[in-house]
Amino acid sequence: MAEEGWEPKIVAFCCNWCSYGGADTAGMGRFQQPASTRIIKVMCSGRIDPLHVFNAFLEGADAVLVTGCHIGDCHYVNGNEKTEVKYKFLEEMLQQLGLEPDRLHLNWISASEGERFANFITDVTAKVKELGPSPLKPEGVK
Amino acid sequence: MVNVGDMLVGYATDENVRKRGASGGLVTAVLAAALEKGLVENVVVMKHINEFEAVPIITNDVDEVLASTGSLHSVPVNLAKYAMGRKVAMPAKPCDAQAVIEQAKRGMIDLDNTYIVGLNCGGSMHPVTTKKMLVAMYDIDPEDVVGEDIEKGKLIFKTKNGEEKAIAIDELEEAGFGRRESCRFCTLKIPVNADLACGNWGVIGDLAGSATFCQVMNDKGVKLLENAIEAGRIEVEPASDKAIAIRAKVNDVMVNLGSTLEKEIFPDIPDKERMQYYMEQMEDCIDCGACKEVCPVCACGEDSKCTMFHSLVDNYKMSMYHLVRLLHLSDSCIACGQCSDVCPSDIPITLLQSRFAIPSQRKREYTPGMNVDDVPPFFEVILK
Ligand SMILES: Cc1cc2nc3c(=O)[nH]c(=O)nc-3n(C[C@H](O)[C@H](O)[C@H](O)COP(=O)(O)OP(=O)(O)OC[C@H]3O[C@@H](n4cnc5c(N)ncnc54)[C@H](O)[C@@H]3O)c2cc1C
Ligand code: FES
Repeated sequence: MAEEGWEPKIVAFCCNWCSYGGADTAGMGRFQQPASTRIIKVMCSGRIDPLHVFNAFLEGADAVLVTGCHIGDCHYVNGNEKTEVKYKFLEEMLQQLGLEPDRLHLNWISASEGERFANFITDVTAKVKELGPSPLKPEGVK
Repeated sequence: MVNVGDMLVGYATDENVRKRGASGGLVTAVLAAALEKGLVENVVVMKHINEFEAVPIITNDVDEVLASTGSLHSVPVNLAKYAMGRKVAMPAKPCDAQAVIEQAKRGMIDLDNTYIVGLNCGGSMHPVTTKKMLVAMYDIDPEDVVGEDIEKGKLIFKTKNGEEKAIAIDELEEAGFGRRESCRFCTLKIPVNADLACGNWGVIGDLAGSATFCQVMNDKGVKLLENAIEAGRIEVEPASDKAIAIRAKVNDVMVNLGSTLEKEIFPDIPDKERMQYYMEQMEDCIDCGACKEVCPVCACGEDSKCTMFHSLVDNYKMSMYHLVRLLHLSDSCIACGQCSDVCPSDIPITLLQSRFAIPSQRKREYTPGMNVDDVPPFFEVILK
């Protein structure tokens, strides 16, 4: 079980054109969200290699979010469709590995969907708080 | 005239090859003819050292091909990588043929230049296990073995002083010996993915023990056979309905056994215990990289994600190398068992990998290594 006052660390991969804009809009619109997230900006969600997700977990992330433009809106034609293919494999794999499904999420968020972004972070944070620290977190990392 | 779909029984015309051949020496004769007549430039065969040791060789010497008769059940090497970049003919167990096709999908092998003479396979054994088994179950010094055979579900060893000893394979496997684990749950026993599918199932009557059953799978198979007939190296006749039925029946039994054993070999592990299970299995890894080196479906070459982004110094709870491989191979792993075979720490890597690959592949109704036109699920999205 998680220690008293423990806050999860969540890594969110956001694409430059949509979901990062969504995060921005969330801030500008002053939608409340927990300070649990560390955003890593990539040009396109298609750039997010499963390797990056493994890395995030192995370095101590309690959850990883893969986000990008809505299908059809990717600024590189179909980068996010490739993301989806990889994501499905990744999702099945981490589940087989025994990692709780709530620690990995895929979400398409446009630059105008600030509230959607904030709600997403709030939801995931609450779920992960319940789960406690990730079993892949290195010793000594909070 | 040979046609796609033909079911034939045949043998080598050279008496010596026929006699030394595992069944009728047909495979050897077909390979030799392919070389002689210039269908290919090289042939991949196994060069025997002893009953437990053989090395794959790439040769353009017909005599060397003719000398390679016989099935080695204790040499589980996968031959796919030896076909790369060459115009070859090769014998291939179903998993060899699967690996060749997976490499072809990734542009590493040109199937037009690769003639695959498939061998039925009921399974192979690890040489170390076989030697231990000889001492424990047969009371035979491995050094004394001069021959080995499988007949009616029994594994028979012949010694240099003329003795023979047979034990049922079931009994051997119950005692922890016998076939490799990956062979036990394998359900591809007839290499329908090769150009020809050869074996001894279905060879009955007078021909039992001295002919090879051969199914022609495609145009390249036709070419191989017609070439060998023309060269005068083989004789074939249509298989009888009875022979065809027997072969199919034995295959069914073996395939069903494979499915049954799969359930035994992969007991369910509860969600909450799986992470611990994988961590414990992998903690003995000494980071030698042998499992990647032998993997016949890996087409990455030396510098690959699994190695380049992995460093022991990271001291992660799970190895980045293994995580990348577990994911990366989930659409292409054919469970050939090579990685488990070579692991110096005896990690059952094939079994671990299969826990990921089998469900992923089944969900997508995709079997790797069957047809070069099946697009690997990882490549699903192509730029429109
Ligand atoms: C491991 C193994 C298991 C088999 N199990 C069955 C079975 O259950 N049912 C069945 O009907 N047939 C089985 N076969 C096929 C059978 O033993 C004969 O190979 C086949 O009938 C062809 O006989 P042949 O006389 O024409 O071959 P040969 O002319 O004797 O030629 C055999 C060829 O096989 C190659 N070879 C030998 N060992 C290996 C190996 N380990 N891996 C790859 N290539 C090899 C040799 O280099 C040679 O080219 C098996 C073969 C192997 C290698
Ligand atoms: S640019 Fe946003 S997903 Fe490709």
